[in-house]
Amino acid sequence: MVSLLKLASVTEEGVRFLSPHDGSPMLLTPEHSISLQNTIGSDIIMQLDDVLVTTSPDHARMREAMLRSVRWLDRCIAAHANPQTQNLFCIIQGGLDMDMRTECCQEMVARDTPGIAIGGLSGGEAKADYCRVVNTCTGLLPELKPRYVMGIGYPEDLVVSVALGADMFDCVWPTRTARFGNAITKHGMLNLRHASYANDLGPVEESCGCVCCRKGDGALNVTRAFVHHLVAKETVGAHLLTMHNVWYQLALMRSVREAVIEDRFPAFLHQFFRDLHRGEKSKYPDWAVEALRTVGVDLLQEEKQA
Amino acid sequence: MEIDGQELKSHSFKFDVLTALGPSTPAARLGKLSLTGRKDINTPNFFAVSSRGVVPHLTPDVISAHAQTGGIHMALEDFVERSRTSTPPIMDIHGSSPLHIFSALPSPFITLLAPRRTPAVAAPNGNTNTSITIFTSTGFQVLSNKAYINYISSLRPDIAISLADVPHGTTPGTKRRDKMADRTESWLSSLLASRTNAHTTIFAPILPIDANAQFEYFNHLEENATQIQGLALYDSNLLPDIPATTALSQLPRLSLDEPRSPNHILRQIGLGMDVFTIPFIGFATDAGIALTFEFSNSKQEDGGVEPLGVDMWSPTHSSSLMPLAVNCKCYACTSHHRAFIQHLLNAKEMLGWVLLQVHNHAILSQFFADIRRSIKEGWYEEGWKAFERKYDSEMPEKSGMGPRVRGYHYKSEGPREVKRNKAAWGNLGEVGPRKADVEMTVDSEVVVVSEDGAEELAKKRVAGKV
Repeated sequence: MVSLLKLASVTEEGVRFLSPHDGSPMLLTPEHSISLQNTIGSDIIMQLDDVLVTTSPDHARMREAMLRSVRWLDRCIAAHANPQTQNLFCIIQGGLDMDMRTECCQEMVARDTPGIAIGGLSGGEAKADYCRVVNTCTGLLPELKPRYVMGIGYPEDLVVSVALGADMFDCVWPTRTARFGNAITKHGMLNLRHASYANDLGPVEESCGCVCCRKGDGALNVTRAFVHHLVAKETVGAHLLTMHNVWYQLALMRSVREAVIEDRFPAFLHQFFRDLHRGEKSKYPDWAVEALRTVGVDLLQEEKQA
Repeated sequence: MEIDGQELKSHSFKFDVLTALGPSTPAARLGKLSLTGRKDINTPNFFAVSSRGVVPHLTPDVISAHAQTGGIHMALEDFVERSRTSTPPIMDIHGSSPLHIFSALPSPFITLLAPRRTPAVAAPNGNTNTSITIFTSTGFQVLSNKAYINYISSLRPDIAISLADVPHGTTPGTKRRDKMADRTESWLSSLLASRTNAHTTIFAPILPIDANAQFEYFNHLEENATQIQGLALYDSNLLPDIPATTALSQLPRLSLDEPRSPNHILRQIGLGMDVFTIPFIGFATDAGIALTFEFSNSKQEDGGVEPLGVDMWSPTHSSSLMPLAVNCKCYACTSHHRAFIQHLLNAKEMLGWVLLQVHNHAILSQFFADIRRSIKEGWYEEGWKAFERKYDSEMPEKSGMGPRVRGYHYKSEGPREVKRNKAAWGNLGEVGPRKADVEMTVDSEVVVVSEDGAEELAKKRVAGKV
């Protein structure tokens, strides 16, 4: 329960908040949250957790939230009506404190849920802290369960998190930024509202395979100029960039999987950052370089020839 | 779909009237409009209205997959906001159909270029002898006939409507009416004289003034009937007044009359209209209204008058598994149900408007298909009467908010206008249980009404809620 946290008050019973629709008071308990998700019937359902913003200095409250999340996990497991058909994921909490994260990992792994989420991140913490948390958690998690880092979506965060041992991600950013007129490309983000794109008749991204950019039969030949013409004016502009951005993210993860299978993931990482920063190593983010060093990839060194 | 690159296909436009022409009585008629390289269009039919080169909410791939319409109405004013400072990007495109290429429109669709959007925003300054005022996304601009002719020859739309001196939003006086006819005639003459290529079909405008005032213009049209391929009527009431000579009556007639409801369409078809542009489809979609009307010859009279559409914002649909319209075969009706659409509108997901737009266009396509069948089978008049008995005469009232209204959609016309867009969020403290009484301002009096009363007043748009 992280959204609209200012409007919510958390007690051992559950989360009390005001309905965003009509302002009426509501109570969400672990049991009710699971019952709703049982009704919806999704393949993966999430426990109700107690989340603080990771940068919170209140150590005692952070620890309380972590321990409460563990207790709520027990209540969620007990309330879960369809364990045969729906997979309940726990959510690891503990802020940026490695001891707390470790404790939470141990407690939750002992509950043996089908999958494990790392939560509470992507809330404004430093990227280096983020990487340390992911690294710490993945080091403690069992090999054969999916590890899902919640709220991650920037391409560089995705590839680094994969290198640190994460499997799954979710994020609103690719589609939200599309609605703002931003196109994700392997060379970084393009703000297509900028006047410099008004007369740019090239595709959104060269050699992209999405509905807007692909060539050949059935190609739409959408240009940057056309997206610029529509963006922030017609919903179609948002739709076109949404299709492009989602395609980019899926294609990125597909290429990550292929690189892992073909045992050339380090080379992939080098190529990814080279493309993103046009080969200028001085622009590589320190946090990414640091994080990847911990798993034996040094972006600043020349690639080792396999 | 490939837009035939540099290849210059000969552009041939043909319109055949398929029903026998009555000598002078206006009557519904069947026709077929064909253009090289595009879908044939059986008439009566309609062209979808675009905004900035796209049918709102429908991406080009969705248009390909789900739109049965054969043509798209495009307004030049949607493309030329940069013309004062630099080249409008669309003018950088070369090839056989820059309009298709720029707007990624699949090639089977016919493009119809008009100078102004439909409906057009009223301009503060009038037109001159050589130019009209257009409203781009960055403000009002002057568009000379010379420039318009130049745009037509560069953009090569399949069909272009010649520039007309139409005073949108005001009723012209006697002197102005004479001027309108003179200007429109001279602008059409320049266009016809300047055409060095045959890539574009020209439709001549018919002005929204009485026939006597444009009598000489009609004569001019008759004399040049071989050079114009269609008529675009800003007022459908003039149909019976157009000289019933063979040359003019065999031209396709396009309505720019902005019908307010299907009844208006039926009336115009009864006068012999062939092709329509129908802004109310988009209005309904944006208002969250799913159109539900059908044209049929069924005799059953089960009492009550039915509405033309259903307001999908209404919470009564929140658990309805019905399709939007019972007999509709569109994508939205076959894949989804009312509850989902209602949920999407509530969540302000853009997909809600996409599905409604697909559906509403499908309803109109079916409406026109049934009308064509009725003319062929000879029951158009009965069908029309049955339709008037069965349905409301006006579209249902809108209750929910549509997508954000943009600057080029409207222009404020005076002080004290209600805000078109609701504020997306307010201060945190304002969220919470509402006060029982809401203070409201009506004109300059401050009145206090109860919550119920406020809802009622807000519905009638007397005032917004505070």
